[in-house]
Amino acid sequence: MRSLFEWVDALPSSIALRESLNAYPTMLTIHVVSMCLFAGLIAYWDMRLVGLTLRKVPVSNIPTRLFPWALTGYGINLITGALLLYSQPMRYYGNFYFWAKMVLMLIAGINMFWFHYATYKSVQAWDQGREIPMNARLAGVVSLVLWAAVVVTGRMMAYSGLMPQWWNNLNIGA
Amino acid sequence: MLQSFFQWMQGLPFSAWMLEETWASPIIQCAHLVALVAFAGAVLVVDMRLLGRGLIKTPLNQLAREMDRWMIWSFVALFVTGAPQVLSTALKQYYSPFFWWKMQIVIIGLLFNFTIRRRVAFAEEGSLGHWPKVVGFLSIGMWTGVSVYARLIGLLS
Ligand code: HEM
Ligand code: HEM
Repeated sequence: MRSLFEWVDALPSSIALRESLNAYPTMLTIHVVSMCLFAGLIAYWDMRLVGLTLRKVPVSNIPTRLFPWALTGYGINLITGALLLYSQPMRYYGNFYFWAKMVLMLIAGINMFWFHYATYKSVQAWDQGREIPMNARLAGVVSLVLWAAVVVTGRMMAYSGLMPQWWNNLNIGA
Repeated sequence: MLQSFFQWMQGLPFSAWMLEETWASPIIQCAHLVALVAFAGAVLVVDMRLLGRGLIKTPLNQLAREMDRWMIWSFVALFVTGAPQVLSTALKQYYSPFFWWKMQIVIIGLLFNFTIRRRVAFAEEGSLGHWPKVVGFLSIGMWTGVSVYARLIGLLS
């Protein structure tokens, strides 16, 4: 892994992005705005599953009508995130919050797929009702917590001085 | 006058505490972003509907009424987590053009919401021609502008 990061770090295109004055602010700003589109819509989907809001909207309406937009936001978010990483791989390699964010995103993804291919199959039975199955509510809560944690770890990446002591002891960035 | 007000904010014991306490600023910044996500979703669900996208099977005024509370409370959360940052970095904000642009659009956005946007969203659907689209477009534009300028305060000031 480390050699992969070091290899990218030395690529001319990575160096060019890193040395560009405008690239970082532009990418980070687009990263935040696309996050709003993605996470904003997903949050209300999750809260619908939990039963906190939009209770009169049939559950299955949201994936068909809102997910294309949320996924567009996610696509832009991934691209800008990847570019940010590509431009300074060695800055993030030793960063606890970066790895935490990646792991959290992975778990959030697993939760999403699990929900979609298991729990959601029975949606016809609870589409209109207020009685949402426990599994679906649980998936909603887990998703809310995980995406909020992704946002938090995303912002914390800037605080390389505030990583846990046990992580610093591993000396990964050195 | 405004400058001395910002100097006064910067000099408050609370501002000193924010800067001294290692975790205070990062926690507040993270909370500001989580509130931003809640705010963005509440605004988008209605604005997309105004544009004729999104949850078109649900009556617009029903969606708008439901999202109204979420929009207001998440804005309150943005204010509560934004104000301490203004206090602790008052002079930086004062000298940042992006801060002033952000605040101007925030005020315009709020006025726009409570005067025009809400009225259009609560109105009888189909009675206003293309106006809902214009309103949805402007609303998305304003809040995106607020976010862009906000992020640029930290990056370019
Ligand atoms: C492959 C996916 C992603 C990668 C590689 C990635 C990478 C990055 C990088 C490198 C930064 C810059 C950190 C810094 O220099 O301070 C960042 C910031 C951030 N990311 Fe991501 N990211 C990804 C997906 C996401 C997702 C899905 C979310 C939220 C749902 C998210 C939320 C954030 C936030 C909130 C910030 C801080 C923005 C700010 O400082 O205003 N990221 N990300
Ligand atoms: C009156 C309410 C608000 C106040 C007082 C406020 C204040 C602040 C301050 C002082 C910062 C830190 C800027 C810096 O020095 O880096 C900030 C960041 C930010 N604000 Fe606000 N804000 C408010 C509302 C909003 C709204 C309505 C939005 C979006 C629709 C927003 C989006 C952002 C974003 C995206 C950031 C950058 C986040 C980061 O990465 O740290 N804020 N805000």
